[in-house]
Amino acid sequence: MREFAVFWGCTIQARFPFIEKSTRLVLESFGLPYRDIDGFTCCPEKSLVNNIDRGSFVLTAARNVALVDELGLDLVSPCTGCVSNLSTVKGELNADPREKAEVNGLLREVGREFKGVSRLQHLVPFFHDTVGIHKIKQKIKRDFDGMRIALHYGCHMIRPSHALKNDDPLNPVKFDNIIRGLGAESLQFMTKLMCCGQGLDRVDAHDKALDFARVKLKELKAIGADALVLCCPSCFLQFDNNQFLMIKEGERLGVPVIYFTELLGLALGFSAAELGMTSHRVDCSPFVSKWEALSKRPSPSAGIEAGLTGPSALG
Amino acid sequence: MLETTLDFKLLEMCSRCGACYSICPSCMNIPGYDPREVIRDILSGEHEKWLSSRHIWECLECHYCVEICYQHYGFENAMTALRMVAARKGMHPPQVKRGWDMFVKTGKLGEPALPARKKLGLPEPGASGADEFRRLHALLKERRAGAGEAK
Ligand code: SF4
Ligand code: SF4
Repeated sequence: MREFAVFWGCTIQARFPFIEKSTRLVLESFGLPYRDIDGFTCCPEKSLVNNIDRGSFVLTAARNVALVDELGLDLVSPCTGCVSNLSTVKGELNADPREKAEVNGLLREVGREFKGVSRLQHLVPFFHDTVGIHKIKQKIKRDFDGMRIALHYGCHMIRPSHALKNDDPLNPVKFDNIIRGLGAESLQFMTKLMCCGQGLDRVDAHDKALDFARVKLKELKAIGADALVLCCPSCFLQFDNNQFLMIKEGERLGVPVIYFTELLGLALGFSAAELGMTSHRVDCSPFVSKWEALSKRPSPSAGIEAGLTGPSALG
Repeated sequence: MLETTLDFKLLEMCSRCGACYSICPSCMNIPGYDPREVIRDILSGEHEKWLSSRHIWECLECHYCVEICYQHYGFENAMTALRMVAARKGMHPPQVKRGWDMFVKTGKLGEPALPARKKLGLPEPGASGADEFRRLHALLKERRAGAGEAK
């Protein structure tokens, strides 16, 4: 496996450092060759920067990719937006030599060059494709048999597919495969692929952002999901923070929101506190206590094993 | 340099299709959000009236429309173009302005939360590339001025 730099992005480091914590714990447990490098900036966030200045969007992303290109590293990120934005620009520049030359004309002046060769992956497809589900199964100490998990892919884990090329953009399967590999049931539900709607919170449309969150959370409540599992800080903000605000206003929601790295961390034997899950706004303990109760069940083989090893006819 | 254009041929086809309307999350959940109208107006040279509409900021850039589109084009290209025109005229929402200012100044949309990092036992965050980023922005500005562009 090639060494890779982790691109943390702004939101995780500024607002959710506990996500960085669980990500590091998981990467280290698997012994994966990751590095922290200097010099990254915002990826940049497309819906903000591109709307105002496309040149700045392209140039900033190209510079970030140039940093890993230069060191001969790949890049992995626990943020869907970062990977999607970086990949979009990488794809565009690789397809357009004239624009690539323009960008490199500018980058050269600060001593950089965009080559566009490093592989950029989001953490979920990275675990699926590069680490492998068999490896995950070998490593975990306890699975999630009996737990009912609702997945939220997050639009930018899979779209735009021409840039990301990592799953079916309209019927993705990789995250599901991992969750099933961890022994849980991956629920199928109407709003599974619905956009989280967090973008609305960034354009002064907070009430509409809440409307979006509510649609999905209500369905999850109705189908009795034990948790919503996702791997994007924007989606996390939307479903954890905004759900908390709605609960405070008296809405009866209460769906634990769990980051992919936290789920994996639990299976590896870390406690919820070690993983920083106690920093969530919406209480995760219903999920954790159900899981703990399940693990106290006798294993299905216990009865027959007792029968086979107990006193026999010969005494 | 490095600017977007709209493809009117594709938009023409688009105005006779409308397929992505039924998969677009904003069309489904935001009353009055309808890029089909926007595209019709763009094609008849009347895009101006949308510049002050909040609807152009309600496209989530979820890229659903691009994926389902037989032209791999999508409503969002029209919405993005209008947002860009609006932003150039300074008509973007205040929150977007604040975000942009922070981005240009710091190269980030938020600085690492140091006390929380310490508590979690996280290492020092990697050094920021903000200085180089700002130099690059200045260079882009110069080039554009040199090329005789408005910005
Ligand atoms: S990108 Fe915008 S227009 Fe396209 S489906 Fe998503 S919200 Fe709708
Ligand atoms: S963007 Fe594509 S799918 Fe949507 S209406 Fe236009 S042509 Fe049809």
